[in-house]
Amino acid sequence: MTILIPEDYPKTLINKDGKRIDGRALDELRPFKCKIGVLANAHGSAYVEHGKNKIYAGVYGPREVHPRHLARPDKGILRVHYRMSTYSVHERKSPAPNRREREISKIIEDALAPTLFLELYPNSAIEVFIQIVSADGGTRCASTTAASLALADAGLPMKSLVAGVAAGKADGKIILDCGDLEDKAGSADVPAAVRMIDEEFTLLQFDGEMNPEELEISMKYIKKGAREIYAAQTAAIKEKFDRIRQETEAENKIIEKETKKAEPKPVAKVEEKKEDPIEPVKETPAEPKPEPEEPTEKSEDNKEETK
Amino acid sequence: MTENNNDVREIVVPGEILTEDKNFVPGRGAIRQGNKIISIYIGLKNISGKFINVVPLRGKYRPEIGDSVIGKITDVSSVKWRVDINARDTAVLKPRDAMDVYDKRSQRGRGGGKSSREEEAETMKKFGLGDMLIAKIVAVDRVSDPTLTTVGESLGKINEGVVINVDVPKIPRIIGKKGSMIKLLKDFTTCRLFIAKNGLVWINGSSPELERLCIDAIRKIEREAHTTGLTDRIQYYIQEKKKERGLK
Repeated sequence: MTILIPEDYPKTLINKDGKRIDGRALDELRPFKCKIGVLANAHGSAYVEHGKNKIYAGVYGPREVHPRHLARPDKGILRVHYRMSTYSVHERKSPAPNRREREISKIIEDALAPTLFLELYPNSAIEVFIQIVSADGGTRCASTTAASLALADAGLPMKSLVAGVAAGKADGKIILDCGDLEDKAGSADVPAAVRMIDEEFTLLQFDGEMNPEELEISMKYIKKGAREIYAAQTAAIKEKFDRIRQETEAENKIIEKETKKAEPKPVAKVEEKKEDPIEPVKETPAEPKPEPEEPTEKSEDNKEETK
Repeated sequence: MTENNNDVREIVVPGEILTEDKNFVPGRGAIRQGNKIISIYIGLKNISGKFINVVPLRGKYRPEIGDSVIGKITDVSSVKWRVDINARDTAVLKPRDAMDVYDKRSQRGRGGGKSSREEEAETMKKFGLGDMLIAKIVAVDRVSDPTLTTVGESLGKINEGVVINVDVPKIPRIIGKKGSMIKLLKDFTTCRLFIAKNGLVWINGSSPELERLCIDAIRKIEREAHTTGLTDRIQYYIQEKKKERGLK
């Protein structure tokens, strides 16, 4: 059995060569990966890996609100449930929902609501469940990214995707996308979420010390990071459907080959028949007809499907 | 942008700019944002005339009057049934909409007939908790729950077969152009099919193996709904699987 001992905070967070402790440049993101449609029973779902963060998000709804008194007759409500698994952090996290989780649920709600058309769903609720499987600093930002993808996967109309990323300050320098150590040992942390359609901030929190100029730089960094995350989100969605499309194109080619193989057979039969009876005049105009018909049928089908 | 290429339709994501051309008008699944037209769904971009549409790939069922739906009875009271129709609200079925109207009317008022209350009480015995129904939606509005009826051709209780759940936006692909896909499924698997608008499909075949084959084919349609040449591929798929599984 491995004994888990927390590492001490390093004395310097930025090395002499200007790189950070994990070898990243100041404005470089951690490796980011995402996927949609990962949970079979949710209406929409997404999985995000941001550095060592591993996050699942599931969306249900719009559905009836329970308890009923929370329902609004003029618009739907968005409810986010952010939960950390007991094993997601170094020291066991109590499974009871705590103050921090309620706060993060609330801010993610506020970060996502400006992209949704909640007025379309009076008296109903859209519920987002976020489960942190593994935490490594910046979970609220990565959760926003995941929740936004899950909402899109559920087929809810949305103005835009949301990308979450944090900036911070370590050793007097502004850094993008703080890891766990940088978050804890650094001197400032600015988690943010950006609505990508107009690059407006839908979440901006601040913790630590920074002067206004530094905040300006961190917001520039955040927008740069958010654009990269947005590109990854878009690519992940498109890749899923394009992969299926490529597979089917390969299958289509196989079918074309098979049908070509199958086609010469009737021709051979026609030839055989030609030899035997002396009345080919009636048969030959009758039988070659199916051959040109078959391809036309297929092309018609294709046209229909693309409409 | 591939605005004139209709052969392979582009996949778009929410917030993606579809065009900045002012001659286009946002259609279904698109909105105007400033001087741009953006998508509001993950879906397929589709240009018809001056309209730019986005056909969504996922989504929930929204009841409309006249839709045939499959539902499950989730609650029975003395005056109505509650039916889960895979929508936001549960639907209501009242005995008045479930009784065989013409039989009963002929008896009433000619001596020995029953009062309407007695008739309704008797009709309430028709369906029980957990029954699956094929029903039609007769009324929907923003305020009250959708109302159903089981009076009509091919409506009523489902006694046999299996019911599966599919994505609602993919129902048109399962039916196919002029019913071509559903005809193919029926011909090649010899199953009876009923595709309800609310994303439930009833399948009844002569053997469980054929039903399984039909379900697998529908799952394949669902997965590959955004691709071209689907009808040919499904025909090929069913024929191959039949050989593999030794079905005739």
